[in-house]
Amino acid sequence: MIALELNNVSKSFKKDEVLTRLSLSAEAGETVVVFGPSGTGKTVLLRLISGIYDPDEGDIRLSGNSVIGIAPEQRGVGMAFQNFALYPHMEAADNIASPLQARGGTAAEIAEKVRGIASLLKIDHVLSHHPKELSNGQKQRTALARALVAGPKILLLDDPLRNVDAKLRFEMRLELPRLLREFQSTTLYVTQDYKEAMALGDRIAVLLNGGFAQVATPEDIYRDPVNTEVAKLFGDPTINLIPSRIVSGNGGVHIDLAGSEIALEAGYGHAVGREVYAGIRPEAMTISHEPGAGAFPVELIAVTPLNERVVMLLHLADGTEFFASAPEEGAAGTREHGPAFASVDPAALLLFERDSGQRIRAQSQ
Amino acid sequence: MKPTSPGEDMAQSAPETGSAQAQETETALQLKAVDKFYGDPSNPVVHAVKDFSMDVARGEIVALLGSSGCGKTSTLRMIAGFESVSRGEINLAGRRIDGLPPAKRNVAMAFEGYSLYPPLTVRDNIAFALKAAKLPPDVVAGKLGHITELLEIESILDKYPSSLSGGQQQRASLARALIRAADLYLLDEPMSQLEPQLRSVLRGRIKSYLIEQGLTSVFVTHDQTEANALADRIAVMEDGVLQQIASPGDLKDRPANLFVATFIGEPPMNVFPAQLAAEGNDLKVIVAAAYANPGFTIDLGTVERTPQSALRDGAAVHLGVRPHSVTIGRGNERGLLVSNQWLGDQTHLVIETAGQTMVAVSYGRVEEPLGAEIAFSIPPQAVHLFAHDDGRALLHGREAVG
Repeated sequence: MIALELNNVSKSFKKDEVLTRLSLSAEAGETVVVFGPSGTGKTVLLRLISGIYDPDEGDIRLSGNSVIGIAPEQRGVGMAFQNFALYPHMEAADNIASPLQARGGTAAEIAEKVRGIASLLKIDHVLSHHPKELSNGQKQRTALARALVAGPKILLLDDPLRNVDAKLRFEMRLELPRLLREFQSTTLYVTQDYKEAMALGDRIAVLLNGGFAQVATPEDIYRDPVNTEVAKLFGDPTINLIPSRIVSGNGGVHIDLAGSEIALEAGYGHAVGREVYAGIRPEAMTISHEPGAGAFPVELIAVTPLNERVVMLLHLADGTEFFASAPEEGAAGTREHGPAFASVDPAALLLFERDSGQRIRAQSQ
Repeated sequence: MKPTSPGEDMAQSAPETGSAQAQETETALQLKAVDKFYGDPSNPVVHAVKDFSMDVARGEIVALLGSSGCGKTSTLRMIAGFESVSRGEINLAGRRIDGLPPAKRNVAMAFEGYSLYPPLTVRDNIAFALKAAKLPPDVVAGKLGHITELLEIESILDKYPSSLSGGQQQRASLARALIRAADLYLLDEPMSQLEPQLRSVLRGRIKSYLIEQGLTSVFVTHDQTEANALADRIAVMEDGVLQQIASPGDLKDRPANLFVATFIGEPPMNVFPAQLAAEGNDLKVIVAAAYANPGFTIDLGTVERTPQSALRDGAAVHLGVRPHSVTIGRGNERGLLVSNQWLGDQTHLVIETAGQTMVAVSYGRVEEPLGAEIAFSIPPQAVHLFAHDDGRALLHGREAVG
């Protein structure tokens, strides 16, 4: 069943078109992560669904019915925001009950619902506490309980883990998928953190320049991005995009990286002569002192730790900068500055057209 | 949790990370036993900063890291002069500054509340201090060009602050602080408003700028990636107390206590309740079976111990293991796979073992389905032991195990 459907939704503010003919559908129980840099309209999209803004064009349907013109509180949308903000002057129980107050129902019915959801989220023992008396994890569950208490048709989470410390962010990243599954909640989750997007999304919808550049599973987005813009948003450090050209010779098709030829997998004959970016993720590269098959000469400039990994800054023969990364401990390869050799797994080599940034794919012959 | 220092139980004493380094070079900033109370001093309502001492060398970059409410921002605000010091003293460039108003401290600041002047353009905001110092126009223009290129704000120089996004305001305010001459640069969550891609680029550039110009700086952050990337040393705070100040590498390899151990590192360190078994100099750590799960034993081999050592036969301890150090797919231990999150360049696994969950990181993709039995092992070099009572570090496997 389709829980949420956006059909050609557009929204402008004065002359600024923020969202342009946006379409998306989410299955019941699915978590779709809306991912993109700031200023691309992620929050505007959530406000359109919750009813705070109306779209200029297009239709929004929840559980099959259009919600255009329906008041926000009648739509059946549950929301939680950045840092899972709570009302500081209210006890946890009243915070959780707040979406129910507006709809009527006796105090006893409301209390019963609050207790039910609180026990599922394991916060029933802190219901009488004020937010400042709650641990960070309890605050987040309280906010989640408030978003879920009215049994929403869709749950909208607006960057809820932004600016929380690493430990809590990690714990919630593990726990949220389980909680959302338990509630069979259809969720639209907005984030700027690619790790959160990869970990939480059944699918990721990459929002760029007012439209969805790609909507796909985390695996497809990471391994098979449609263009350089999408590719660059994932990974830390992000993908290397090295200016190059597709050439033929020595009985095969290669790319030319600063004078070194790197063999391509079969199927790129159609693109010979094209100016491209060679997209290579840092972890798909191996740096060594030995000039093995397919390896090309580089210079290792600097090695810096990044969390538990090492990131190596390298130069090609023509001075082009790029990065390789490796697990810190026990990883093969060199760490010594100076001349070295880099090799790339051909299956992990992505090619993009230089001018448009669009992906060039292998064609079956 | 009390501040703890690695004591006699450490097989090899950790290097002094406090003042020793600063003595060799010139001390720029010194905090001596600084306290901050709010409310009546004899019965303070909030004791935000407790007995905080720290020396920062000239040209050094120090991060104050902790979760919200740990006292890091109060500390920064006392150095800046926005908060009074309740007890103790602060010296900068050889003079006592804690009684001086902010403007007399010769400190440059980028603070959230310390906003840009609304009537001036971004350009005039940034250049204000240089013009006030009567620098020649070509020098001002040169410095302005350098810093605005570095922070990627050339395109907004003629705009007014009110029309900027949060991230642009933050970069403009950073530029305004970094461009002027000062004894100390104080930055409060300098990149909190920036998007992740820009953050990772700017981190590197700001660090090389600070080093190149030899600027002494103290910045507050809740983001350990930022602290690791920018700082020479990181001061970890919790509950108003400085827990440890050390280089990023030492914080990871030689955390002084359980708080620091679990706060630093992403994903966080796994902690198991455990018991020691000692025979002569041989030491083993035993994690008991619980519920349906088997437990496991790690043989640390020969560990030199004094008779006073807390590493006694039968002693209760906390066993800490970083997720990256757990070996997956081989080894004698067994657990159940309960979560498997692939993040592209690494996989985070959650394994149920000894009645609790353990996080492990693998760099490949793990295809095992949820509920599968997973083989793992914990190398003795990866073991950290902490006292059961106060959490102080007792042993770091990397140093103690051959």
